[in-house]
Amino acid sequence: MINKKTKICVIDYGFGNIASIENALNYLKFDHSSLKTPNGLGNFSHLILPGVGSFEAGISKLKKLGWELKIKDFIKNGGYLFGICLGMQLLFKYGTNEKTDQLIEGLGFFDGKCKKFFQNNQTNKLPLPHVGFNEVNHNNTKIWDGIKNPSYFYFIHSYKVSSSEDSHNYAKTTYGEEFISFIEKSKIFGSQFHPEKSHSVGLNLIQNFCNLQ
Amino acid sequence: MSLLKRIIFCLYYKEGFFYLSRNFSLQKVGDVDWLIRNFGFGKATNYIDEIVIILVKKKPTESDFKNFFVGVLKLRKSLFIPITLGGGIRDLKISKRFFDNGADKILINTLAFENKEIIEKIAGFYGSQAICVMIDHRRINNEINLYSHCGARLEKISLKKHLENLNSLNCGEIILNSIDNDGNAAGIDLTILDNIETNINKPILIMGGAGKPEHLSSVLASTKISGVITANLFNFLGDGLKVARNFALEKNISLANF
Repeated sequence: MINKKTKICVIDYGFGNIASIENALNYLKFDHSSLKTPNGLGNFSHLILPGVGSFEAGISKLKKLGWELKIKDFIKNGGYLFGICLGMQLLFKYGTNEKTDQLIEGLGFFDGKCKKFFQNNQTNKLPLPHVGFNEVNHNNTKIWDGIKNPSYFYFIHSYKVSSSEDSHNYAKTTYGEEFISFIEKSKIFGSQFHPEKSHSVGLNLIQNFCNLQ
Repeated sequence: MSLLKRIIFCLYYKEGFFYLSRNFSLQKVGDVDWLIRNFGFGKATNYIDEIVIILVKKKPTESDFKNFFVGVLKLRKSLFIPITLGGGIRDLKISKRFFDNGADKILINTLAFENKEIIEKIAGFYGSQAICVMIDHRRINNEINLYSHCGARLEKISLKKHLENLNSLNCGEIILNSIDNDGNAAGIDLTILDNIETNINKPILIMGGAGKPEHLSSVLASTKISGVITANLFNFLGDGLKVARNFALEKNISLANF
């Protein structure tokens, strides 16, 4: 993997607006392609997993298209991975079914689970989904290079992740209650917000991710 | 309903050109390249929370839609903010094309008077947060009248009743647009807010009449309002949006400080 030319793959599994991510990569002049199935994934150095929608539907589509094991191989081979919104949630061990509250297995890169807002907190309840720009208090790691702290990013979600991971590895945001808005461990990153819809700071974050090697 | 307030810019488009609107009569000002060249369009949007682009054609044809999406695509290349697109959306199929062509949210107006079932269907696919309803209103003898079809058709329903209907509909937010103040740059009519009951639980945005930074911040100071929209190209592009945002921040309006 060392010195491999940077080439970004966007996973096109039918969840979310991949056009805006492609738009950002074009603007930043990164070499990129979108793949519907993992064929040819070996040619890439960085992988972006976007997504809008439900955890259950998202993970089952990823599995059906054969992505689950290939993403894991990609990480073992030293590739970089960035999950956005639902894409971040899928990086965790578990999601939940909205109606039955049953646990659903995710990709399992991060310990923790994804649940709807305000399940254990009825006092500070705010309207869902959480939509709009909100403050992200980040941890000044390499991927945040050149981005002031805190910064504002665009959110649109009703579910959030909670985790037992080391809190040094994540950034936080408050909407009625505090939640993890960004997480990183080794070469795997996830943002609950949409960097591709978050002005120049969002572009800066995408650029920093793509420049990691 | 975000806790932060929003400043939103709106563009009117048809047949390859952008328009200034004054009391709903349109004046052609330039094409996409003109907008980018003369107003540093990409940079100006660093100071807004969202952008709305409306196809202002009564009964748009297939070629109007195609042409609109081509114009939007050109602009999108330098837009990294949430985008709302609207104009002529009457069914689920058309709404899908708006989303496929870069809309994070769609804007509807006439459809909210005509067919609420279609709105529910669109919400079922894309979520209620993806639907904004605009209400065009005009005062006649101090009575508030509502209009559909780009201001051409008077609707019989009262503002109060229409708001009540929308409140129980699967839509994300409501935009109140004043035809009287449209494009006059003389300030926004806040008295319209007296007609909003406190039980409306959707974000309300207001539009029509903004001409300078003070106009935007005085509206944003109202607790009934989540955001303000201006379509005044000449007063706010260039560095106008930057000045307006900084002015509002100085007045301690709760805005994202980009």
